[in-house]
Amino acid sequence: MASTLAEPEVRRPPAREPLIRLSRVEKVYRTGKLEYPALRGIDLTIGEGEIIAVVGPSGSGKTTILNMITGIDRPSAGEVVVDGRHLDAMSEEELAVWRGRNVGIVFQFFQLLPTLTAFENAVLPLDFSRTGSRAERAERARHNLGLVGLGDKLDHLPAELSGGEQQRVAIARALAADPRLVVGDEPTGNLDTHTAAEMFDLLERLNAEGKTVLYVTHDPGLAARAHRTVTIRDGLVVAE
Amino acid sequence: MRSALLQKSVTDLTRRKARTAFAVLALAIAVASVGIFALPTLADRAMQREIAASRLADLTVDTAPLRLGPAQEAALAGLPNVDAFAARSVYATRVWVGDRRVKALVIGVPDFGSQTVDVVKITAGGVPGDGGVLSDVQNGRQGRLSVTPGNRIRVVTANGGTALLKVTGEGRNMSGGQMVVFESAVVLYAPPETVARLSGRTGMTSLEFRLRDPTRADATAAAVRDYLTANTAFTGFADLPTVRPPGDWPGKEVFNKFSQLLYVVTMLALLCALVLIGNTMTTLVGEQTREIGAMKAIGGTRRQIAGIFVRTALLLGAIGSIVGIALGLVLANVLVNFFGSTFFAISGGFGVDLPIVAASLLLGLLGPPLAALPAIRRGVRVPVREALETTGSITAGGADRVDGLLQRVRFLPRTAQIGVRSVGRRKRRSLATVFQIAFAVATLLAVLALGTSVSNLTHEGWRDHGWAIWLGSSLHPPLDARADALIHATPGVQAAEPIIVNDVDVQGEPGFVWATAPKTAFNYRLTDGRWYGPSDDRAKARVAVVESSIARTTGVHVGDTMTLYTASGRAPFRVIGIASNVQENGTVVFIPLATARRLLGAEGGVNGYWVQSTSQDHGAIDRLDTRLEDTLTAHGYQVATEVTYVGERDNVAQNRTLTTTITVLGFLIVAISMVGLISAITMSVLERTREIGILRCIGARGRDIRRIFTAEGLVLALLGWLVGIPLGYLLDHALVWLFGELVGIEIPFVFPWANVGYALLGTLVLAVLIMLVPVRRAVRFRPGDALRYA
Repeated sequence: MASTLAEPEVRRPPAREPLIRLSRVEKVYRTGKLEYPALRGIDLTIGEGEIIAVVGPSGSGKTTILNMITGIDRPSAGEVVVDGRHLDAMSEEELAVWRGRNVGIVFQFFQLLPTLTAFENAVLPLDFSRTGSRAERAERARHNLGLVGLGDKLDHLPAELSGGEQQRVAIARALAADPRLVVGDEPTGNLDTHTAAEMFDLLERLNAEGKTVLYVTHDPGLAARAHRTVTIRDGLVVAE
Repeated sequence: MRSALLQKSVTDLTRRKARTAFAVLALAIAVASVGIFALPTLADRAMQREIAASRLADLTVDTAPLRLGPAQEAALAGLPNVDAFAARSVYATRVWVGDRRVKALVIGVPDFGSQTVDVVKITAGGVPGDGGVLSDVQNGRQGRLSVTPGNRIRVVTANGGTALLKVTGEGRNMSGGQMVVFESAVVLYAPPETVARLSGRTGMTSLEFRLRDPTRADATAAAVRDYLTANTAFTGFADLPTVRPPGDWPGKEVFNKFSQLLYVVTMLALLCALVLIGNTMTTLVGEQTREIGAMKAIGGTRRQIAGIFVRTALLLGAIGSIVGIALGLVLANVLVNFFGSTFFAISGGFGVDLPIVAASLLLGLLGPPLAALPAIRRGVRVPVREALETTGSITAGGADRVDGLLQRVRFLPRTAQIGVRSVGRRKRRSLATVFQIAFAVATLLAVLALGTSVSNLTHEGWRDHGWAIWLGSSLHPPLDARADALIHATPGVQAAEPIIVNDVDVQGEPGFVWATAPKTAFNYRLTDGRWYGPSDDRAKARVAVVESSIARTTGVHVGDTMTLYTASGRAPFRVIGIASNVQENGTVVFIPLATARRLLGAEGGVNGYWVQSTSQDHGAIDRLDTRLEDTLTAHGYQVATEVTYVGERDNVAQNRTLTTTITVLGFLIVAISMVGLISAITMSVLERTREIGILRCIGARGRDIRRIFTAEGLVLALLGWLVGIPLGYLLDHALVWLFGELVGIEIPFVFPWANVGYALLGTLVLAVLIMLVPVRRAVRFRPGDALRYA
């Protein structure tokens, strides 16, 4: 990863090299005396430059798979390798730093910091990773907000933006460190149909620039627009 | 089986254990502080037990040495209203403590084995024989003299020599102990023969009576005087008879007034805790807005829903009260035992003041529901639809003027900016936390300033003494012309002013008369009228200058006539001046020396001299002190001296004990405010758990999370300090006023600005320490768990 910020190169997906590999991944959640096996042995590979949709009924383990890939949760068993890094062997601090520099995450409910402006939310990951100078970080954030069509709303607080605009800010934030991987957990789940379609157009544009896009969705129409669909049921991959 | 509604009240407390624990702790501390109201009752009980056990005298009269035979003693014991009688001989002298000579009293006790009044209890060792002494237990506790049985004490005798007395043990006596504490004297107990040998005089000088009806003490004193006049060589009381009012004990009034000062601490503690409870209930109700909507949707009325939260608050109050009452019992008894041990060498035991316990319970139970009412009222009035649509998280924020101000703080790192802006997200809670911290800062600033005021007043009082040594004796016999010549001829004496000092009653209030020459070494400060002049002295005019405290207490003004009751009877005096000096706690009346001589029948001499030294060096003053004593005792005069610089030093140390106690109790408020801060930060961490998860998802490290919450806490602490400064200034004024009202002495108002700096340092350091636990908790959240947090 470049230590200074540069304009991303336009690149086409090369031959499929696995960017992400899950091997016999299991995840069991324990609450009190109860154990809940969310994943029961997942084997999954995702190549660089792919758009992957993860679908399945509620409680099937879709979000858990995303959490494994982004290091938000640790597997109870198995291996998770992303871009050559064994996430299961990294500490929380290492995972936080790695995420800030390599992964962009878009959440269903935007999850912007309400007291920070659109600009400040968008530049925050770069502040955490201390990448580049202050001016370079600011330039990157302004660029990303322009990319998502919010170049004129830098000083707006989340409360002053619509749902769609908030999600765009969230996408701009996810692109802060120019990550190779963009992950969305129901990224359009809280948007109206028109805005959702616009949002997905944006994700496709990012993929066209070479980014790998992975998202969870309940929308069959959105699932159909992916290169590949992975179906999860009862903690297992049943189709891809 | 519990009803569902009651069950909900219980689970409201158990679902957020940390928050409940903080609220209970804060309430418990406040309820415990109510125990301070029990101090007067518990102290009085302990002292009454001690008075009964030690058979403290109701009436004491001092005379020149009187020889009393068994028949005379029996007659005195048989006087009307007399229940018991004891005669003691008292010799005022000096003892050697290392290389120094310090003031001492040797009290002759005729029969240690059968004492009927003012018992000297032997606490260690055995009864002293001839040549032996018991040392009062307070001698060691107050740092005046530390001895063990077998040690020897060198005592200055009346003829200027020294005697070695063997310590046979330790004794405890209420009156003697008071002399050690408040007169800075070493007190020893010995057989009368030993006292006679030391003083060169045989006879009893102190007659002590226990009365059947203490309200008739004056009549009994008159009867004693009549009997002594008719049957002995009695020449008059050396001083006004000392009457102990029924139920009174030495220092009772001062202790009760001091306790009242502490009530201010209790009030502030309660206020602080109720603000915190209100805050807690606001959060508790606020986070359940959706649940309130759901309850309304399924048929719950406002009253029923409000009842759930009132029950929650009552449960909180019940737990806090129980813990607080237990703590309060400990606090009150620790304080009583501390004061009892320090000032009276007695154990306060363990007592319970049931009315105060009941009041604590009532306050603890009712306080939380009352504090919670505004929040409950707001919560149950939210419309159903609006309540059901609430997400429950803090997604809004950052839009009003306060937030605008906080957003201007851009010079800090981004993480600190996030923390600073978070202060505006829960404005009510932040405001409540700021005020709790402000109360703590204000209380500490005020009590520290009060301590400085008292210290300044003490120093000022001693600066009024334009002399290095106060040489005191008795009027029977007085310091006569020969003594005057000896004093003036002593090397090192620059000037010596004769004075008479006597106990008096000023229109029903106990006081002192200081009779001086018109041109006096006393640095008087008149606020009204004039000082007496040579013509007043020549005419032996009955004119007086009164200190402002006693003038206020008795209501006299310049031009009024007031009545003094002296050892010689009643005497009217015209008030010609009011002085702002504070001597003897503001109870001194100044009259011309010649007037006092005639009034008290002391034409042949005086009972004191104010001696100015040629050198201000402390060593030179000590040596002059020794020379004066030796010279006068060698010529048969019984004298005791008070060195001004030593008295000032001891007085300041004594006052420091009292003011330090108030300051320490002020830390109760600090404790509550720190509980408030840790509660606020913990709540902030819990409420923003998901946000912490998001921050971790976008690359925040542990130190970034730490910075965010530490910045929030430091901003609250800093704002609390800022608000606390003007509050402290006002509270200081209130304490100074209260002190004046309670004690009757006006103390100078000061507000040392250096303390403001120390308060800032203390507040910030405490805040950082207090936040360590909740901030560490925030750092330890795993992103996955944090995102799933509900």
